[in-house]
Amino acid sequence: MNSLYMPKDSLIHSLDPRTKMLFVVFVVASSFILNDPALQLVFLVALFPLVVMAKVVKPYLISIQFLLLFAVLIMTVHGIYNPIGVTPVFEIFGGLTFKYESMVYASVMSFRILVIGTAAVLFVMTTHPSDMASALVKWKVPHSFAFILLSTFQIIPIIAREAKIVMEAQQARCLDVKGSLIQRVKNLVPMFAPLFIITFMKVHQLSYVLECRAFSRKGEKTSLRETKIGSLDYTFLLGMLGFLAFEIYLKLFMMGSLQLTTDALLTYSLFGTWIVFGFMIIKFVVKQFQGKIGGAN
Amino acid sequence: MEPYISVKNVSHKYPNGVTAIKDINLDIHEGEVVAILGSNGSGKTTLVKHFNGLLKPTKGEITVGTMNTKKERISKLSSRVGYVFQNPNHQTFLPSVKQELAYGCKNLKMTEEDIETRVQKAIDLFRLEDRLDDNPFDLNSSQRKEVAMASIMAVSPKVIVLDEPTTGQDHKGCKRVLELVRMFQREGHIVVLITHDMHLIGELNCRTVVMNQSEKIADDHASVVFSDKGIMEEAGLQPPQITQFANQITNLDEMKTYLTVESIIEWMKANKEEDVKVGTGS
Repeated sequence: MNSLYMPKDSLIHSLDPRTKMLFVVFVVASSFILNDPALQLVFLVALFPLVVMAKVVKPYLISIQFLLLFAVLIMTVHGIYNPIGVTPVFEIFGGLTFKYESMVYASVMSFRILVIGTAAVLFVMTTHPSDMASALVKWKVPHSFAFILLSTFQIIPIIAREAKIVMEAQQARCLDVKGSLIQRVKNLVPMFAPLFIITFMKVHQLSYVLECRAFSRKGEKTSLRETKIGSLDYTFLLGMLGFLAFEIYLKLFMMGSLQLTTDALLTYSLFGTWIVFGFMIIKFVVKQFQGKIGGAN
Repeated sequence: MEPYISVKNVSHKYPNGVTAIKDINLDIHEGEVVAILGSNGSGKTTLVKHFNGLLKPTKGEITVGTMNTKKERISKLSSRVGYVFQNPNHQTFLPSVKQELAYGCKNLKMTEEDIETRVQKAIDLFRLEDRLDDNPFDLNSSQRKEVAMASIMAVSPKVIVLDEPTTGQDHKGCKRVLELVRMFQREGHIVVLITHDMHLIGELNCRTVVMNQSEKIADDHASVVFSDKGIMEEAGLQPPQITQFANQITNLDEMKTYLTVESIIEWMKANKEEDVKVGTGS
């Protein structure tokens, strides 16, 4: 049902959802406080042990690929074309020059995306949606709002499944889904019309089902999945607080004397994203090729 | 005679690693009605989805007519193999029944007159004259199912696959399905049925393929399959009530399996003078 949640037994999983929500807030704040590519890179690397601890390395790497696409795009396009750049770093063919200032700007942007993305993925993969809902309720979020959030998580896989059936059903009516671009745009109608109708029907049914189980009853509700803040959470929170204080100290008093960002770092991180991106493309092409041979759809 | 659909050593493994069907061999000839039985998750739907190319075999080969399903597009195969999905809501989306019927033909880029004749034929077959301008979503569920079937039939595929046609239908709807299957057969179509409705199979008295845990465990006439206690138990199936009843009458013609009420009544009329002896089961 919950496509992104990975049920595993780990320290991160056993944290209270509230702690993890604060963690996401902390990471977002940090990514803005550490307004320097080198520090952000360090921060990104520092987050990785948490991913390992949560035992979600493989799914994490898969989902972070999409964010890497953004990073590659931002670093390349901004590095060359952003008008704030004045100091050239190196030139690629055709007179396209990467400039220092724009590279700093692009790196900050893309590392920020990756850092926040990592925290978000970590949160979603280690938190059961129901736990999140019940944690929100403990934060005095109205029950129905928590439920809206929860049902959104749950309805996405349902819609995805229905979409697959609808597509098969329309293909069974001789719809060519592998036609030209115009044809594909036209195909959206037979795809989405039944999908919308079915989704509305399902939501309508869901509302009845909820009412049958006294959803709108007034008063306090208990939850099957109880969440509790324990010593582990306090340790984690304290750690975050300490880190935050350190970051602010770094920002306020050390920034002048600390010059970690160099041309080499920027260039290597740019090349790094390119290389990873190149691997992704090769993997994609190989998969397509295999698909053609194996005849998988 | 060359089979129309020929399934040779076909296995299918889903991307998540689940093997849904294992080493299936199956030949379906012109004019046949084939029922595919089995418990949920036994691989029935996976098997029939191979017929129109919705799934491609990960091992083995399937030929439909002269086409290898691996090499053909689904849209082309669909003109030979019509697949009626269980829930008509997945298929219908146009504002009128008539447009719905013409949709498949339009996808095949037929000429206007051609579409007109085919739609008219479907209208005649399904007796939909009075409902042509209705919105399919205003019809009741069995009528909607009929529209979905008619829209597949309008393309006039050689094979028609019905995925659980009687599920959620009232008695009238079930009877109509039976009627339609017989009609398809008369019109020269091959009918492949996925169903849990033993009564329907008993009435159709057709070839029956039993699937269990991704494998084909039986492929014979319904009367033979239904009388094979071992297979029925293995697949978790129960023959129609009338067959169970007939099996309890010990002095019945042992060689014959009784699939319908009519056949029992016939036997009773022929054996009026004898008492019906009920035993503990044969």
